[in-house]
Amino acid sequence: MNKGMYQKEILLTVGFTLLFLVLGHAASIFVLFPGLQGSWMWGFPVHYIVPLLLGWFGLTAASILFTLVMNKFDDDMEAMVKGSRSAKQVPSQTMSASKGD
Amino acid sequence: MGEQSFYITNLPLAMGVVIALFAIFYYIGWSSSRKTTTTGDLYAAGFTIGPVTNGLAMSATWASLATFMGLSGLILALKAPFVFLWIQWAISIPLITLLYGTTLRRMEVYTPASFIKMRYGNSCTVVIAGWMILTMVMYALGQMIGLGQAFEILFGIPYITALIIAGVATVGFITLGGMLGASYNAAFQMIVMTIALVVPMGAIMKVMGSSGWWFPPLAYGDMVPAMLAAVPDFFDTHYDYRWYFALIPAFTLGPIALPHLAMRVFTATSVKSARWAVVWFNLFLGFLFSGGYIVGFAGNFYTATTGTVITKPDQIIFILNVIYNPEWVTAFVVGGALAAGLSTVAGNLMAVAALVGHDLLSVFAPNMETKTKLRIGYVALGLGGLIAILLAFNPPKFLVTSILWAFGLLASAVTPAILLGVWWKEANRLAMFISSLFCGITYIIISPHVLPNIVVGNGVTAALGMASGLITVPLSFGMFIILSLIFNRIPALSAYAPTEEDKRMIDRIHGWGDDYDEKRYASVVWPLIAVVGCVAVFFWGMVPWA
Repeated sequence: MNKGMYQKEILLTVGFTLLFLVLGHAASIFVLFPGLQGSWMWGFPVHYIVPLLLGWFGLTAASILFTLVMNKFDDDMEAMVKGSRSAKQVPSQTMSASKGD
Repeated sequence: MGEQSFYITNLPLAMGVVIALFAIFYYIGWSSSRKTTTTGDLYAAGFTIGPVTNGLAMSATWASLATFMGLSGLILALKAPFVFLWIQWAISIPLITLLYGTTLRRMEVYTPASFIKMRYGNSCTVVIAGWMILTMVMYALGQMIGLGQAFEILFGIPYITALIIAGVATVGFITLGGMLGASYNAAFQMIVMTIALVVPMGAIMKVMGSSGWWFPPLAYGDMVPAMLAAVPDFFDTHYDYRWYFALIPAFTLGPIALPHLAMRVFTATSVKSARWAVVWFNLFLGFLFSGGYIVGFAGNFYTATTGTVITKPDQIIFILNVIYNPEWVTAFVVGGALAAGLSTVAGNLMAVAALVGHDLLSVFAPNMETKTKLRIGYVALGLGGLIAILLAFNPPKFLVTSILWAFGLLASAVTPAILLGVWWKEANRLAMFISSLFCGITYIIISPHVLPNIVVGNGVTAALGMASGLITVPLSFGMFIILSLIFNRIPALSAYAPTEEDKRMIDRIHGWGDDYDEKRYASVVWPLIAVVGCVAVFFWGMVPWA
């Protein structure tokens, strides 16, 4: 198997899962570390507005990254599968050609 | 000030708004129905929906009346923690797409249960489809309650009458257009509900004295000092870390298995298009969600500063509009609620139709003609709607209760089957069957709704299924993994072990084509590490709640 591609798929999946989880659950970070609370941003307590912004614009940015990276991964995977398929076909074609001779 | 009733007095205006909107929805459904000729058209819109339309439709399907009405209603009761609870739902579609949506899209399946049938066989399909249908009906129940309440405000008629009118009209329009109609209607409905939620809030904020009326979702910071004077604990986090952690098993992992959300991913023209739809989804949904938070904020501010008692908190968005805006604006807001409810009920009932007409019938009557299956699917759709209407006759205080509780059930009984089925070749069909049934039933038993004497947690934490989910979700994952490892090594149970064809299928749906390798997605160590984590969370969930 192409171990590199497999590991890349697993790492990307775990990485993006964690990224989405952190962005969607940013409020729990402020609960876990209460010292982060107490500041203000745009008139709101920071523990309110930051999770809200991360859950909207942060997730949108992460989704763009996810789409670009995973679509590129699909292209690489497709090229690799095609490559290994044609590599298997070439020797058999060579064999049949030599039989014809 | 005491309890008040809030209705629109101009009945012709209210009727005009509803008739105009329904006319548009029915037209879109009718024009789409002319293109619906195959099963793929009915359940997956012929795999033709582009990223922007799909992003809008995903948002509309997800953002139901729970967002339009229930969100502000529960912010009224729980304040900022309910905002934090809501934010995390935006990761549902990204996670579905990442973890299995694109993988199953390659198979061109109509529902996640179609995958369950190919991966685990018939008995498991019946169990999973059963849980999904139950969840869809519970979900539709919440929408029907909201639609009934919206019509109640709009026409000033009793709730039950309003419910019947709204319910029948809704089921009719969904039956007409299939998934094509549902997709294009959902995209249109997302635009209507966003405008109806956000724009009138700008006018309300202006009257309330905010200079940020030009952008309601984020610009109400100047109202915060007045809010803190009226409701000092509005922004408090209130609960301990475990409460926030419990959102993950019940409310993040549950919606991952929602069939009507997954079906939106499956309607995409390609795997890549499905991912781009996720970007649009997050942009649109974030705008709508943030609009919902300001409604809850303004509702708290209004009730605290005026002393008004709201008996039906879910109606706060209409009440604010009745008080602060002209009647035609309120009528349009109710139209937005209509759009919100219809788009989600459409998704729910289409999922019921696909689960019955495609997945269950392929188990019980595999040789039945496609036309007959389609007809039975339509009947199931109608029946699902009817059951939801009947259940809504006696609604809970908050419409989101039934919906959120159903999420925990899905996370306990269905999510492990899908995720482990896609990512782990060792997943055993008997282990799936036992863990899904056992943990689903346990979740129902230890929640307060069926057997109130046997309950884990208390108050809203128990009612929404968070306390029970923190126990049954890790139990389900852990049990499934351990039982799979044991059963796969017992020769007498070899019939339940994954076959080589099952394993080859997993490689194929991950894009490997014919390049099969036994060792891929077959680790034993990592699942065992996951079990250790599940055990820790399980015992944490068993600790009594404060």
